[in-house]
Amino acid sequence: MADYNEESNRLTIKIVYYGPALSGKTTNIMRLHDLIAPQLKGEIMTLETQNDRTLFFDLLPLAFTASTGLLIKFKLFTVPGQVAHDGTRKAVLSRADGVVFVADSQRSQSVNNGESFDNLAENVHRVGLDLDRLPLVVQFNKRDQTNILSEAEISQRWSAASWPIVFASALHGDGVVDTFSQLLAQVHRNLDTEFQLVSKHGIEQRSFVESACATIG
Amino acid sequence: MELTPRQFDRELTLKELLAGLPAGKLQQILEAMFGCGFRLTTAGGQVVAGSAEPGTATTHSPIRYELESIGNLETASADPEKIKAAVLLIELLLHSAARYYMASALHIEAIDADYEALQKKHAALVISETRYRELAASLELRVQQQVAVIETAQRQLYQTEKMVSVGQLAAGVAHEINNPVGFIKSNLNTAKKYVQQFAQLAVLVNSSPDSAIAKGWRQADLDFVIQDFSDLLGESIAGTERVARIVADLKDFSNIDHTEIQVVNINDNIRSVCNMATHELSKTADLLFDLGELPKQKCHPGRINQALLNVLLNAAQAMPERGQIKIRSEYRDGLTSVQISDNGHGMAESTLARVFDPFFTTREVGKGTGLGLTVARDIVTAHDGDILIQSEPGKGTTVTIHLPVGWQCLIRE
Repeated sequence: MADYNEESNRLTIKIVYYGPALSGKTTNIMRLHDLIAPQLKGEIMTLETQNDRTLFFDLLPLAFTASTGLLIKFKLFTVPGQVAHDGTRKAVLSRADGVVFVADSQRSQSVNNGESFDNLAENVHRVGLDLDRLPLVVQFNKRDQTNILSEAEISQRWSAASWPIVFASALHGDGVVDTFSQLLAQVHRNLDTEFQLVSKHGIEQRSFVESACATIG
Repeated sequence: MELTPRQFDRELTLKELLAGLPAGKLQQILEAMFGCGFRLTTAGGQVVAGSAEPGTATTHSPIRYELESIGNLETASADPEKIKAAVLLIELLLHSAARYYMASALHIEAIDADYEALQKKHAALVISETRYRELAASLELRVQQQVAVIETAQRQLYQTEKMVSVGQLAAGVAHEINNPVGFIKSNLNTAKKYVQQFAQLAVLVNSSPDSAIAKGWRQADLDFVIQDFSDLLGESIAGTERVARIVADLKDFSNIDHTEIQVVNINDNIRSVCNMATHELSKTADLLFDLGELPKQKCHPGRINQALLNVLLNAAQAMPERGQIKIRSEYRDGLTSVQISDNGHGMAESTLARVFDPFFTTREVGKGTGLGLTVARDIVTAHDGDILIQSEPGKGTTVTIHLPVGWQCLIRE
């Protein structure tokens, strides 16, 4: 649920990066932080264990001000992917306005991807969201690895699903911005229904996405 | 202690972020840095650290957290480097406070959700346990019902078998007795005619009283003999008739093995049963009949007889001294009622409550099966009727049986 604060004239949007352990969720927002330059970009807050695994979440704040003066603020969270942290994962997911599901393209990870996606579907339901209405992009990460599922195989496996699929190599920055912008296009559609972004604030979908994903240079 | 979950990802205020920091130490550090007074205010102008009063020649530097200005640092210091360093320091502290705050809030939120899930699970368990208990209870009830059905069937079977064997025996005996009784009766009637022929001789003999034959006649007291002989034969004939009637009743009664439904007048059943049991009944009581007009009705006559007999025998056995058994019958509103009242010793309420229980008996061991009324009730119930008992200790007992005249047997035998 995006949070509109009339007093501070601010709309806060929550994006959650979900997926199995070690699929590259943290890498996604790290690279995103390096690649995009919206009006305002915060430091990444990480809460990790000593061996480089997310324990609670990572948080990247981004923002831009619309022509009407409305501050659009994005909070990008990653969830802990390890199976054991389901309680935390569920809490981080709650109130999400959009989800990026980061899957691992390696053949050996197919089962983990499936289990994690089932876990996402279950938790979406548990936190009171509707998977059919929730903006969602499925990113197949680690395309730079060997022994990965081919794009044809993945497309065939996910042919019944209605969500866009993006192929990425987060480590090299490939597909990271594309994933984010594809998600924002969907998020805009939902928020426009709720907050009249276009009619009230003059924020069209294209400018919404471009303002948030403005690349450096 | 109850934890109210606060959304870990909500916008935090300067006040909340500073809450976790030792305010005194921050003040100490900043005062040492500036060498003069300062104050930290929220975006709303509320002082959260430093001196309460605004100093002179104050510079305002925004404190930013998560891309937004959430407060101001006001100081009299004119050293921009120091001010910049102070702002950086404060932001660093806020960032670190935020990390801690968010982590703990997230932890609480997760724990709380888990706890809620546990509570829901618990509630669901309680519900399912309740359902299981109800199920178990209803199962118990159903088992009891089944047991009752089986017991009833067993009792009826026991009773039927008993009745069938008694009936067969009675029918056999009746048949065997019928023949001899028949020819005895016929022979006695013939003998009576012979005696009457002898009696005609008396006139002839007595017409010459001095004759030897007349003397011998008087010596042998043949006048008396002939008279008494005739009486004896008459009594014997009456005796054979009684035997024949008993045999006929016995045959009637032993129709038990005919479980088929017949159309009868219940009064006939009452009479047949009373004749049948007259010996048992008349030992202890006088029977008084008040039988009303009854329509014919469908029933299992053998079983109805059994029910009536059981009630009558109870009445006869309830007499401390010779008493009375009144049998009334009447028809009203589609119901035939048979009322059997005795003036015997009656029953206490505790006994009355149990009279229909199978194998409950007030008699000595071996004297009663405790099935009489149970079977009677089963039979009446099977005819869609009911059986009521009123009793008062010392006054007697009244058993009323209602039988619907329009009864249709729906159970195939």
